[in-house]
Amino acid sequence: MRVLIIDPDPARAALVAEGLDGIDPLKVRVAAVFDEIDVTAFQPDVVVVASESPDRDTLESLREASAVNPRPVVMFVDRSEPGLAEEAVRAGVAAYVVDGLSAARVRPVLEVAMSRFHLMHQLRADLAKAKADLASRKSVERAKALLMKERDLDEEAAYRLLRKLSMDTGRPLGAVAADLLAFAGVLKGGDPT
Amino acid sequence: MSPSGPLQLGFIPLVDAAPLIVAQEKGFFAAEGLAVSLSREGSWATIRDKVAAGALDGAHMLAPMVLAASLGIGSEPKAMIAPIALNRGGAAVTLSSRLTGDGDAGAGLSHLVRRRQEEGASPLTLAAVYPFSIHNYLLRHWLAGLGLNPDVDVRLTVVPPPRTAALLGEGVIEGFCAGAPWNAVAEAAGVGQTVVRVTEVWPEAPDKVLGVTEFWAAANPAILQSLIRALARAGAWAADPHNQPELVALLARPEFLDAAPEAIAAGLAEISFDGAAVNPPRREQAAWLLEQMARWGQIGEVAIDKVAERTWRPDLYTAALGG
Repeated sequence: MRVLIIDPDPARAALVAEGLDGIDPLKVRVAAVFDEIDVTAFQPDVVVVASESPDRDTLESLREASAVNPRPVVMFVDRSEPGLAEEAVRAGVAAYVVDGLSAARVRPVLEVAMSRFHLMHQLRADLAKAKADLASRKSVERAKALLMKERDLDEEAAYRLLRKLSMDTGRPLGAVAADLLAFAGVLKGGDPT
Repeated sequence: MSPSGPLQLGFIPLVDAAPLIVAQEKGFFAAEGLAVSLSREGSWATIRDKVAAGALDGAHMLAPMVLAASLGIGSEPKAMIAPIALNRGGAAVTLSSRLTGDGDAGAGLSHLVRRRQEEGASPLTLAAVYPFSIHNYLLRHWLAGLGLNPDVDVRLTVVPPPRTAALLGEGVIEGFCAGAPWNAVAEAAGVGQTVVRVTEVWPEAPDKVLGVTEFWAAANPAILQSLIRALARAGAWAADPHNQPELVALLARPEFLDAAPEAIAAGLAEISFDGAAVNPPRREQAAWLLEQMARWGQIGEVAIDKVAERTWRPDLYTAALGG
């Protein structure tokens, strides 16, 4: 089976390709954009497209023009499992299948693509959270140091003061610390941004 | 309001997405008590699938898409409805500057097509933005008027609107039919010239509509009424010339169209957003669109009146806004 993956996100495309490795016999190709000449040369049985790719409409027009196009493409929907198409939509994956390929052979490809899209989404979310956590920890450290210096507190007391501010205002510790640093900057005549 | 959070509405970055963007940014959704999250989508196919699957509650849709989805042409059948039309105008055919030269661009094109056929050269490639769109039908109708058969004499393809100008410049396509601002973008880049506008051919043709599933509409009648009212009021705001500079700046923002303000302003001049002739979804429009679909072989025999009655819902429009 020949699988073409079209995804403007190269890291995610690589992740899907790697996941498909276990399915055999299989030949996988990855592209950022749809190129008809390239696709005609590769002759895929299945095209997996990230739904954020604008190329979906071009792919659909090939099927529309199937009377003159030698390679009709049909969107994969397995009528026996009504939830699968919806699940794929929510995962951000669309798959197009060349006429004649059975749903049973396509299903594992789609499942791998969906799980890898979820995995990538999770990885990106984790990374964003880790960055935010780090930034927040840095703000807390600096705000603590500022309080220790300006209010002549020890570290423990400075932290307790910050935590009290956080609880009184119902805002996260990192946000309170960032505000404190910004205000201190203004009071010193600096630029709050 | 649905307990699961804000309404999710999809749009494609086009000038005629203005009613949704204005309703969100100028508070027309909020005035109806609607919390809305707008989601910019990359393709019409994704809009269709997300609405069908319930990942979006509704979306900015090409009018014929509602019919194609309901009939199951090009996708699994999913009953969709158009309870309000968003605009008329904006679609236009732009040809490569290499073809337009001096004189009649259409005659020049048909001459070139015939000469290439005599020489045995490959057919010229022209693009529309989606198979089920008045852009596709306008391009085909215009070609037919030149004595060309769009299925035989040229090669028709689909190109995402934001890529049209670049592909025209590279010579990958020789012309396209797309909505605003993409014709103006190609002209500004010096790669194309607009040769015909939909308003010159079919001034009454509906362009975009709000598309929702029949199921969602039946389950959320009060929300749908609020949505129709907010979009109609946003359309009136967008149509007011006093608001034009603010509208251009709003649409140009990176999270919306991310396009040059000049091209957006040029596109706005061709589009009607408001009025009794624009917003109520009239069933003769659906019937006319179905005739276009039949003309180009997209559908076989269908009960036109029945399909129009089920999909185009002036009753819902009237219920929301009064007769």
